[in-house]
Amino acid sequence: MRMISRFIRLIVLVCAWWSAAALAQQSHIGKLVGNAKPGKALYIRYCIFCHGPQGDGRGESAPYLDPKPRDFTKAVFKCRSTPSGTLPLDSDLYNTISRGVHASGMPSWKPLLPQERANLVAYVKTFSPAFQEEQPGTPVATPAEPPSSAESIKRGAALFQSMNCWSCHGKDGRGHGPSAASLTDDRGYPIVPFDFTSGRQFKCGDSDQDMFRVLVTGLDGTPMPSFASAMTADQRWDVVHYIRTLNNPKQHEVQNAANAQ
Amino acid sequence: MGFAMKNSILALIVPVAWFAALLSYGVSPGSAPPADAPASVSGEVKFEGTPPKPSRIDMSADPFCVKAHPTPATTEEVDVGGNGGLANVVIYVSEGLGTQTFPPPDRPAVFEQKGCQYKPHVLAMQAHQKLDVVNSDETTHNIHPTPSNNREWNMTQPHGVPLEQTFAREEVAIPVKCNVHPWMKGYIAVFKHPFFAVTDKNGSFELKDLAPGTYTITAWQEKLGTQNQKVTVGASEKKTLSFTFKQ
Amino acid sequence: MGIVASRRIKTLLFAVGIFVAIVRPGYGIPAFARKYGLPCSACHEAWPMLNNFGQTFKDNGYQLGNGRDAPIYQEPSYWPIMFRTTPNWHRESNNRQAVDLAPANPASGLVEAGVAKSGFDVDGVDAITAGTLYNNISFFIQPFIGNNGITVNQAWVRLDNLLGSPWLNFKMGKFELDQPLSQERLLTISNTGGIYYNYFFTPPGDRSAFQGMGNVQLGTELLGHSGNDETRYSVAVVSSNSGGTDLPTNQTYDFYLNFNQAFILPWFGRQQIGAYGYFGQVPTFFRTSGGAPIPGTGMGNRSFYRAGAYAHWYVGSQFDFDTFYMHGQDNVFLGNGVPANQPSKLPPGAVGPSWNGGYIEAHYNPNTRLIFVGRYELVRMERQANPSIRPGLGNLDTWTVGYRWYPIMSPRAGLAWLQEYSRISNIGAAPLSGKDDMRDSLLMGFDFDF
Repeated sequence: MRMISRFIRLIVLVCAWWSAAALAQQSHIGKLVGNAKPGKALYIRYCIFCHGPQGDGRGESAPYLDPKPRDFTKAVFKCRSTPSGTLPLDSDLYNTISRGVHASGMPSWKPLLPQERANLVAYVKTFSPAFQEEQPGTPVATPAEPPSSAESIKRGAALFQSMNCWSCHGKDGRGHGPSAASLTDDRGYPIVPFDFTSGRQFKCGDSDQDMFRVLVTGLDGTPMPSFASAMTADQRWDVVHYIRTLNNPKQHEVQNAANAQ
Repeated sequence: MGFAMKNSILALIVPVAWFAALLSYGVSPGSAPPADAPASVSGEVKFEGTPPKPSRIDMSADPFCVKAHPTPATTEEVDVGGNGGLANVVIYVSEGLGTQTFPPPDRPAVFEQKGCQYKPHVLAMQAHQKLDVVNSDETTHNIHPTPSNNREWNMTQPHGVPLEQTFAREEVAIPVKCNVHPWMKGYIAVFKHPFFAVTDKNGSFELKDLAPGTYTITAWQEKLGTQNQKVTVGASEKKTLSFTFKQ
Repeated sequence: MGIVASRRIKTLLFAVGIFVAIVRPGYGIPAFARKYGLPCSACHEAWPMLNNFGQTFKDNGYQLGNGRDAPIYQEPSYWPIMFRTTPNWHRESNNRQAVDLAPANPASGLVEAGVAKSGFDVDGVDAITAGTLYNNISFFIQPFIGNNGITVNQAWVRLDNLLGSPWLNFKMGKFELDQPLSQERLLTISNTGGIYYNYFFTPPGDRSAFQGMGNVQLGTELLGHSGNDETRYSVAVVSSNSGGTDLPTNQTYDFYLNFNQAFILPWFGRQQIGAYGYFGQVPTFFRTSGGAPIPGTGMGNRSFYRAGAYAHWYVGSQFDFDTFYMHGQDNVFLGNGVPANQPSKLPPGAVGPSWNGGYIEAHYNPNTRLIFVGRYELVRMERQANPSIRPGLGNLDTWTVGYRWYPIMSPRAGLAWLQEYSRISNIGAAPLSGKDDMRDSLLMGFDFDF
């Protein structure tokens, strides 16, 4: 009888240790240190209805959302500064929470205190064992942007053609290339390539640097691949410059003139 | 004897007994199998009945792909050869290897994009083995495996640019696609051990260098499912097996 | 003493009656939860009370800014409407009410006795439709389906982020002022505990028609905030008719200003301090026709103001409390109920009454489904309108405790179970003895929001 109760006690201890170990997860963003335990209460308050109690993206509201909320158990994230197929940095998750994801159900959580957001990052990491088994990838370098120019835009247009960007994004960048109708995300839901002519904000940040970074890291979990080995840094900047013109040629002229001075 | 004494003796006996039981099953923690008396299992996989007619692939989205196929390419989902042999079936040992570990080979596995199709259509390789992805086409592909037990990645690969990756965990099998050319479909099966083969166009396979023992051999086909058979091989024995798939 | 006392009683009762009639519980809006898929707890510390994320959402014109705010992004079948009703059981009691000694026998004389009444009750149904008409155009329409008919509680349109700046948001219509703690979003709903008395207080004998800065007002408001909503200001210009429609008073306007600033204390969290002022005028007589006053022709305007400071304090993630201070002053004619064109009617030694008041309200919010609230509020007269008024008359103290438990909280609907107890002590207001008049409310019931 005592053996059994001792056994039960051992099991309880192991479970407690295991859950405590999971909730001992921390996040480090600059000087901020986030902890999973207070992050759990925040997750229940703010996140659970979309992302679900198990973090698998199957919250109560999820069937009515498009795009679907992220499934944290797969540890696959779109907006990273790390190479395709690797885990994001804590700061990548923090930035996504702070910025929100435009044109999706994910709002900007900037009204939450920085400490609260850091705690949420720590808790989100407990949903997938990958965060305990693997290290995040090495962050990709974003070199200084060379000024845009007519030549750069022309080279970018040629790369847009040769790299087959048009097959998804279309020759005019509107997002209905020949492959567009067949595209699905990693959960099998249809997904639409970005319409560069719309002037909408990008999901992972709007600056040229953000666009460059997406070209290097790809958007994991979507058909958008990484061009890390496919193009040099200068070529990627050319593509960035070209893409900017798809939305607003006049704006680009102004930028051109400003860069020329 | 006090209760405490009884307890501590029990605590000692139980793990020892467990270990002894394991040993009696002939499983010992070891690494490479003994190569002194290698057995093999070979055979054929056949398709029974009328094979489904492959459909033509419309590659008009990319003029290069159209040019690469003067006669249009066809789908490869169920590839039945002249004598009824079923190609691209992955044959592998699924049980019987115990807890042995097998280091991955030094040579890389090669997955080629040729004529806007994957060659081979089904590739089998070992976990942590180098995977060389080759783009022999003069158009840009992106190689996008969508695993459920491995990390997902998605890389663009222009013509001639090398790409090296690997998979860490066993998975049968990882679907691979190209988003630029949506008809491209392939599979990569990843194993912890080297005892696997992919049937050729006649449906033939051979699993070599097996240690004597009892194994479960599994055949996996991308559309027709899996089948298992048990086989026992003695030292230097060559057993034959056959699998039959039907729709 | 008799006539003056009975007039005082009537004023008090009238005032209380107005409180009960105009003050309604606030709301959480499942229509917003349905639109975005967020849980109620994302915007509400415990609905109807807003948290910082919800306040920012509201200040931004009910927009998340994620590119999905305009109605075109919703399914055509989505309509932003919600209903709220609070069926409850409550008990009201008064320890010193004037009653006939023998029932049905006025000749038996009045005595003070305790009176209590209790039973099931329903206030009515709040129907609210609110949200965005387009990017940066928000709206709010709140008809109240009461037991005596349908009234329009709030109806306004707001142009948000004018000139692309969060500092310029222009609202027009019938709306609740940007108060330190929103009267409409009170966590307690009982007769005694369901108001912030300071927002509505006027001294005994005061004939000001001003119904309080907690009342919905008619006019315009310019509100601005920094991008992170840490600095906020609002300026409202409203008609001097306390939200009354059909122009009952005169062509004068009141002003309300509110400013607050938030700052972050390590470990404690986000704190907020602010200051406000309401400056208005009330007519003291009207033009008449056949002796009856003509609405809208008010004359002899005299002014009043309410001003003070407040703060929201957060201690960690589960505990917060609010402190509030007000100083109020009414003009001598308002305070004594004398028309401004008859100054001789002012009693000797008449002055403009002034008073100080405040409240402290604490919340304990251990999880998203439970909140405990406690409040203490007081008003102290500083200067009575004339020497014949007893110095402490009009002072009040109230204590309120309660909790709300939310067993159901989904993006579609919410259900809260609540219990609260509240007691108010009006100093020296007992009708006959001049002792303190104590009134209390005990309430328990449901709060449905869907």
